[in-house]
Amino acid sequence: MSASPYLPVLIFAVISVLFVMVSFVVSALLRPTKREPLKETTYECGEVPIGDTRIQFHFQYYMFALIFVIADVLTVFLALWALDFQPGFSPVNILMFVFTGLLVAIVLYALKKEELIWI
Amino acid sequence: MLNYLYSIPNTIATAILSVLHINLPQLNYLLTWVIASIVLIVVVMVNVIILIYVERKLLGRFMDRRGPFVVGPAGFFQNFADAFKFLVKEMILPENADSLGFNSTLVIIVASSLLIMTVVPQAPNFFFTDPELSLLLAFAIFAIEPFAVVIAGWASNNKYSLLGGFRSTAQMMSYEVPMLITVVSVVVLAGSFNFRDIVNFQAGHVWFVVPLIIGFIVFLISIVAEIERIPFDTPDAEAELVHGWMTEYAGIKFALFQLTSYVRSFAGAAIMVLIFLGGWTGPFLPPVAWFYIKVYAVFVLFVWMRASLPRVRIDQILNLGWRSLLPLSLVNILIAALLRISGVL
Repeated sequence: MSASPYLPVLIFAVISVLFVMVSFVVSALLRPTKREPLKETTYECGEVPIGDTRIQFHFQYYMFALIFVIADVLTVFLALWALDFQPGFSPVNILMFVFTGLLVAIVLYALKKEELIWI
Repeated sequence: MLNYLYSIPNTIATAILSVLHINLPQLNYLLTWVIASIVLIVVVMVNVIILIYVERKLLGRFMDRRGPFVVGPAGFFQNFADAFKFLVKEMILPENADSLGFNSTLVIIVASSLLIMTVVPQAPNFFFTDPELSLLLAFAIFAIEPFAVVIAGWASNNKYSLLGGFRSTAQMMSYEVPMLITVVSVVVLAGSFNFRDIVNFQAGHVWFVVPLIIGFIVFLISIVAEIERIPFDTPDAEAELVHGWMTEYAGIKFALFQLTSYVRSFAGAAIMVLIFLGGWTGPFLPPVAWFYIKVYAVFVLFVWMRASLPRVRIDQILNLGWRSLLPLSLVNILIAALLRISGVL
């Protein structure tokens, strides 16, 4: 029977989700459940947590994500170019070379501007 | 050639349906792939258990002790004992945690990591499915996990978890780019996104580790960072973040995360073997044997790195990824293009 070769991947995805569910159910049948308020406190090595957990992150973090977007676009174009690579100094290869050089220069400049990348 | 991972389930499915006197091709197709999926999960799980055992034994030897040796022959059943212990442990949902995010991310992380193995062929007669773009699909699935990790960190309502989740995403962002560019250099040489074509090309010419040695080193560092093993396991650094984004997960959930990290190690080693080390090709032994010999050799290399290297600081990791590996990967792709242009490969 001829179907898409990607369809089995979908079936496997469903089965692997079921695998996790089954292990949950087996564990639920075997494990004890004794709820206590002290057990459910947030674990911070015995200290009482101070302040809100869901804090705002520093802008540098998102700056970094923006640089990643540039570089990721580069990889997408490189992948398309590589799949149909024709040997020789054709306009496509020269253009790709210039494009890569430009984007790398941009990325390196952006990284240089951020003197400290801190997470 | 006969594909055992398809033909054996197909035989079983046909037998079951003929006993039940049902003649539906669609149902046969579905049942075949369901059985094949279960077989693949079992194959991956058996490998994961052996990998954990290998790692514990080797780490013991590296640290001048014997590793597990009590349960079963040479301690082989220690992992089963640990898994059963995790299975009967109590489950805790921490206060103020987001229940949906806390539990659904677990499913996404485990399922997506298992899903990588569907498109990774193990031998010409042992693969699950062989689509045209299997290499691309494998890396696409590989990149799902950090998103789930950052949601898990956010949902746990724990500062350590949140930091671990954000670190995981930052690390993925830094190492995804050099890794994919290195993969692209392999594609330039092989001219295909299909694992099988890449392996066949290497069998006909030379293993890509020889012409692309720079790419091999970049890929090795990037894949260790992607599967978050020591030197690059900052998202769950025990010394700084308790257990990173896994801090609040207890019992079977924690066990599943540990299993998942080894599934990812297995998949990473397998991908490395397929695109750089000639895949299943080799003299005398059958292809599956060569594939597993190479995968376990790469895994031993991972363990060796874990035993001998200290954890890298997070900003050093990011600098290494952007300032060293990105230029090196571009040099590598230039080498690949020049090799094609000059007609050597």
